[in-house]
Amino acid sequence: MGNNDIQIAICGSAGDGTIAAGDILKRTMARCGYKVIAFDLYPAEIRGFGKCVARVRISTEQAYSLKHQSDVLISLNDSDAIAHVGEVRDFGAVIFEDSPVARVAEGAHISAHVRPAQIPYGLSQRQISERATGAARSRNIVVLGYLAGLYGLPADPFRDIIAAKFKTKAAAVGEGNLRAFDAGLQAGAAAFKLDDIALDPPIHGDKGARATMMTGNGAVERGCLDAGIDTFFGYPITPATTIMERLAREMPKTGGRMLQTEDEISAIGATLGAGYAGARAATATSGPGLALMVEMIGLGVMAEIPAVLFVSQRGGPSTGMPTKTEQSDLNLAVFGGSGDAQRIVLAPTNVEGCYRCAGKAFEMAECYQTPVIVLLDLYLSNRYETVIPPETMPFAPKAEQAPSAPSGDGRYRRFEIGENHTSRRAVPGQAGGMHTATGLEHDEFGRPSDQAQMHMRMSTKRHEKLKQALSHPDLTICKRFGDEGPVDVGILGWGSTFGEILETMFAAQAEGIRCAAMKVVMLSPLPVEQIARFLADCGEVLVPEMNYEGQFANLVSGALGRPLTRLNCLTGGPMEIETILEQVRALAKARTAA
Amino acid sequence: MNETPGPVYIEDTLEQIRGDGHLGYRSALLPTWCPGCGYFSVSEGVTKALNDLSIPGKDVVVVSGIGCASRFPFFMETYGFHTLHGRTLPVATGIKQANDALTVLAVGGDGDAFAIGAGHIPHAARRNVDITYLLLDNGIYGLTKGQASPTSAIGFVTQTTPYENRDEPLNPLMMLLAYHASWVGQAYAGRPHHLTQMIAEAIAHRGFSYLHVLSPCVTFDKTDKTYANLDLEVRDLPDDHDPSDRMAAMAEAAKADTPSLGLFFREERATLGDAMTEIAERASGNYPSS
Repeated sequence: MGNNDIQIAICGSAGDGTIAAGDILKRTMARCGYKVIAFDLYPAEIRGFGKCVARVRISTEQAYSLKHQSDVLISLNDSDAIAHVGEVRDFGAVIFEDSPVARVAEGAHISAHVRPAQIPYGLSQRQISERATGAARSRNIVVLGYLAGLYGLPADPFRDIIAAKFKTKAAAVGEGNLRAFDAGLQAGAAAFKLDDIALDPPIHGDKGARATMMTGNGAVERGCLDAGIDTFFGYPITPATTIMERLAREMPKTGGRMLQTEDEISAIGATLGAGYAGARAATATSGPGLALMVEMIGLGVMAEIPAVLFVSQRGGPSTGMPTKTEQSDLNLAVFGGSGDAQRIVLAPTNVEGCYRCAGKAFEMAECYQTPVIVLLDLYLSNRYETVIPPETMPFAPKAEQAPSAPSGDGRYRRFEIGENHTSRRAVPGQAGGMHTATGLEHDEFGRPSDQAQMHMRMSTKRHEKLKQALSHPDLTICKRFGDEGPVDVGILGWGSTFGEILETMFAAQAEGIRCAAMKVVMLSPLPVEQIARFLADCGEVLVPEMNYEGQFANLVSGALGRPLTRLNCLTGGPMEIETILEQVRALAKARTAA
Repeated sequence: MNETPGPVYIEDTLEQIRGDGHLGYRSALLPTWCPGCGYFSVSEGVTKALNDLSIPGKDVVVVSGIGCASRFPFFMETYGFHTLHGRTLPVATGIKQANDALTVLAVGGDGDAFAIGAGHIPHAARRNVDITYLLLDNGIYGLTKGQASPTSAIGFVTQTTPYENRDEPLNPLMMLLAYHASWVGQAYAGRPHHLTQMIAEAIAHRGFSYLHVLSPCVTFDKTDKTYANLDLEVRDLPDDHDPSDRMAAMAEAAKADTPSLGLFFREERATLGDAMTEIAERASGNYPSS
């Protein structure tokens, strides 16, 4: 079993090199042509002895989330890893240190916790590392070698990735780590093999060679660059900071400008200023930053100014859990602010979606002259997936802006209520386009006006123009998967949770349950017709999401008035497939009983 | 310094106003300010300064926040952005980041700048964003009908300080000097010719220029920063004041009871736009490494 789909968990304390080992493993396997999904758990503190877990799922076919069971657990620190023995499947492997340097209290060694159905592999990690490099520090590389030896993973790609990883360090460090890998490899190859996790070779399509590893935040960066971002303004906040850091390095290479501002209010303020002046402009933040930005979003809506906001959610409210994931800022993203301030909100469900939504957000902001929010969460921002870069540029370049020809009275109407409720936008520097953008209600020229008729007409304009976004070219705003036609259980989902939803749907189908799933990428305006059509096919509807009350379920039932079964988890980690599957089984059973 | 008016003939004045072109910078909207408001002097000064500097209206963006002073862009025939309360400088910074070629004027009042917006001023100043900040200080919130502001005097009675204001007023000039603004000056709405000249100098300066304009609110302040009081209080900066001497400028700025008019401080240094150009060169490997 498991020959085309294995998951490896590496667990240790901060400082053991846990995350680094996971990084080498996933890059190597992606280089070999496997599909990879990886997600690391780490503490909020930079130093100290927090627990780190790196999980890497390696498969020959596309996978959509991590599995709830791992095939292999590697312990770099037993006191952290003991809690994770339970996630290893029957006949799965537990690899640990068998020659501890100090006396171990009874029950403190991981071997005491391995179930009879699991296979223990004791390894003298420390001794092998010391013999190879003179220090115990390379234990994390020794275990990678052991893993490769045990399961016959190709060694040369590992060596290449290890050499690249330590390229910036002194030559001796790289060489030492290569010796550590080879020593581990020898031990693994010599070990007696009791299980059968040996991987099938990767399926090499035409595209395999171009596959690359990317996080959600990395994909956002690529999307921004490919869409020709001109300016970016940001303020550091976990888990969005890496978007700003990556753009700070890359944007200036093509003349783009990144500025770290004094707070989130100035970040979005400057983004609107740059958008007003004709730039493709963006900012990135998390929930607490978005809370500070919503007043400016209202200004962007009122003054009809393009702006792109990347928002990566984390545990809330308030400072909450900065390094844990959650989907609890949907309400703020969709509704936050004063007045009727409708905006576009996109929530990608995987890393490739982050790339596509990022680039499309600039097109849409420009096309519909409005702020666009791309809503991620920590699980999506930080998880790695193998993606295949597009062969041709998927995003439209910046459109030339120009004021419309003056009408009868010779004056430019910046907010003319024209075709599709959008108007011709002039940018500073253009003759004949002078106007004042304002957060006050205004007439077609942009002059302040609070007449009842004008407010009604302009509100209609601002709302109706966004409906075009529902048919924006080359963007999936929602999609149905699974069984066609009527089904017993339909799962409706959004954001990062959709990977677990798809895996659940496949598992339910395998159990004989008629099951379908729909992902909704555009949360505002909501694709009500498509959702209604899907719900009409579903006997029961389950909405799993990582928040307390079901913010997405509220959004859908508010628009459609259909009762939905909610499944809400607030653990700070991704939802568990088994948890969703139990609900699906229960709903299917209740339905057949009825 | 007192500008003694000579005889004025209306025909001459009309001919002069129509002839020199500065009315081209005025929009068709009538200002919403009260008759006698100091902001009329500033508005007149800006149109004349832009005209004197021959900057076309299409290349000018007037950015403001919220308040009486912040209605400014509507009365200008330029591009304009009337933003949120206190957020003038971030938006102006964004505009300048998008297009260095634009002339960006940020306009705001004392409440907009030094209450809600105070956190942004040091950063626009230290980055030396190449914009001009015209701070119209009347020491009161006018648009909300008369409440105390961060520059209101101790003892000032307003709707929100019926038992007299007790908060020490800020000294904006000293703050801006400490924030490393690269051009700091002060003018008075009751000295319109000097004001116009200072506005033109501030716009011509390459970098962040801060012009503090003392400007009476004739409706809600009958006792403190009135034309009658300010006419007696204002002074010229001493003839020997050296505008390259930051500490001397600080000493002059500290004399808040007898405000001095003129250029307090000026230095030439790299702007935010210059920094961005240098960063782009470093990133593309064209910059000599140190």
